Amino acid sequence: MKPIIEFRKVSKSFGETEVLHDISLTIVENEVVVLVGPSGSGKSTLLRCINGLEMVTSGDLVVNQIHLPRQKRSVREIRKEVGMVFQLFYLFPHMTALENVAFGPKKVRGFSRREANHIAQDLLDKVGLGDRGHHLPSELSGGQQQRVAIARALAVKPKVMLFDEPTSALDPELREEVLNVMTLVAQEGMTMMVVSHEMSFAKKAGTRLLFMDDGRIDEDGDPAELLLNPQTERLQNFLRHVGY
Amino acid sequence: MTFEWSIIVESLPSLIEGAKLSWYIAITGIVGGLVLGTVAGLMRIAGTRAVGGRTYGFSLFLSRISQLVAFGYIELIRGTPIIVQAMFIYFALPLLIEVITGLRGVRFDAVTAAIITIMINAGAYMAEIVRGAVQSVNKGLVEAGMAMGISRLQLIASVISPIAFRRAIPPLGNQFIISLKDTSLFIVIGVGELTRQGQEIMASNFRALEIWSAVAICYLIMTSALALTLRFIEKRMRKI
Repeated sequence: MKPIIEFRKVSKSFGETEVLHDISLTIVENEVVVLVGPSGSGKSTLLRCINGLEMVTSGDLVVNQIHLPRQKRSVREIRKEVGMVFQLFYLFPHMTALENVAFGPKKVRGFSRREANHIAQDLLDKVGLGDRGHHLPSELSGGQQQRVAIARALAVKPKVMLFDEPTSALDPELREEVLNVMTLVAQEGMTMMVVSHEMSFAKKAGTRLLFMDDGRIDEDGDPAELLLNPQTERLQNFLRHVGY
Repeated sequence: MTFEWSIIVESLPSLIEGAKLSWYIAITGIVGGLVLGTVAGLMRIAGTRAVGGRTYGFSLFLSRISQLVAFGYIELIRGTPIIVQAMFIYFALPLLIEVITGLRGVRFDAVTAAIITIMINAGAYMAEIVRGAVQSVNKGLVEAGMAMGISRLQLIASVISPIAFRRAIPPLGNQFIISLKDTSLFIVIGVGELTRQGQEIMASNFRALEIWSAVAICYLIMTSALALTLRFIEKRMRKI
């Protein structure tokens, strides 16, 4: 089992406020890690450090054998191998769904327009939107947009996928279609880190559950076991709050 | 006193000559200003989050220098009247060149000085328009592009520019029209543009009402042409 992401005593501060305290964490290939915790606990920041959208303040972060922050200049190499899906989708509004998905293969991987479109069409088929390729993001529902966003990230052929609250901006009935696609991706062996409050997804597709509170990882274990038998009072309270 | 249409018909050929020159100065100046403004506007925010995240080391130094140069240019131009800029470029710049390099007799003709003035003047205002439009692009979209591992240039070219350009069209149209009308100031450096042509005809026949009405309508036709072109471009783009 090859480690693909390694936090070694990582801290991150925004100005005076330290939001990650001394995090040590190893993610190996094919793990599907679900990160839960109250808002402001540092989940998103932890995720955003991995692809260098935030630079760690101290400690060593190794992603696909590249060290951050020592090799800041190689952050693009990391980003090519780490796809990201955002809470608010952020599809490029001036491109159709197909163009959005073909963008990565074309610009990042150097495929020709035809090859890139082919890759994009296949991925749109996979997320169930094969017939929506010519639509602009504004013409799609939230759930459809998020599925296009997942396809767009997959199109770059990353080794790891990061999901930052991918369903929290969606209506309950639209969440299901996004979670189904994520489950499919997980089943294909993708290494995933998912910030989410979807406990059903954690139990069904997750291989590991992390509970973060106040910039620290308080619990780390098998999802089914932790949900059944939360060790800390904080996690018990948290699970009650999210209605589990 | 009656309104003599014949006066307008008589003076139309000279007015059209003047309008052609005004149009030429404005369009050349605006196109140059757009290039200058885009470069200056991007320099103004080089190395910031809006254009693809922080930079380090030497490129950080370079982006700071760019920001400073662009800032100086914009503030210098916005802080001085265009008429002074025109006078400076036409009368003072040759002297300044002589003082600095010792080269004598470097001079621009009045039309060239006029074009350069519009270019640097409009450029400064357009730089602020470009900066505003780029900074208004959703930070999340910029991050989504960055997260895919594309280069800074690709990010600016393929993601930021198309979105920012749409936002910039209305304020740019405003600036185009202002610049076109600003060409009337070049009467002070002796350019035979529309306002000067009107002034000259007026000086010979004293028909102020007819001449200034005709001059005003000529400007109105030209500004409408600019506005309609921009509206056409805006309409043709995909709604986002």
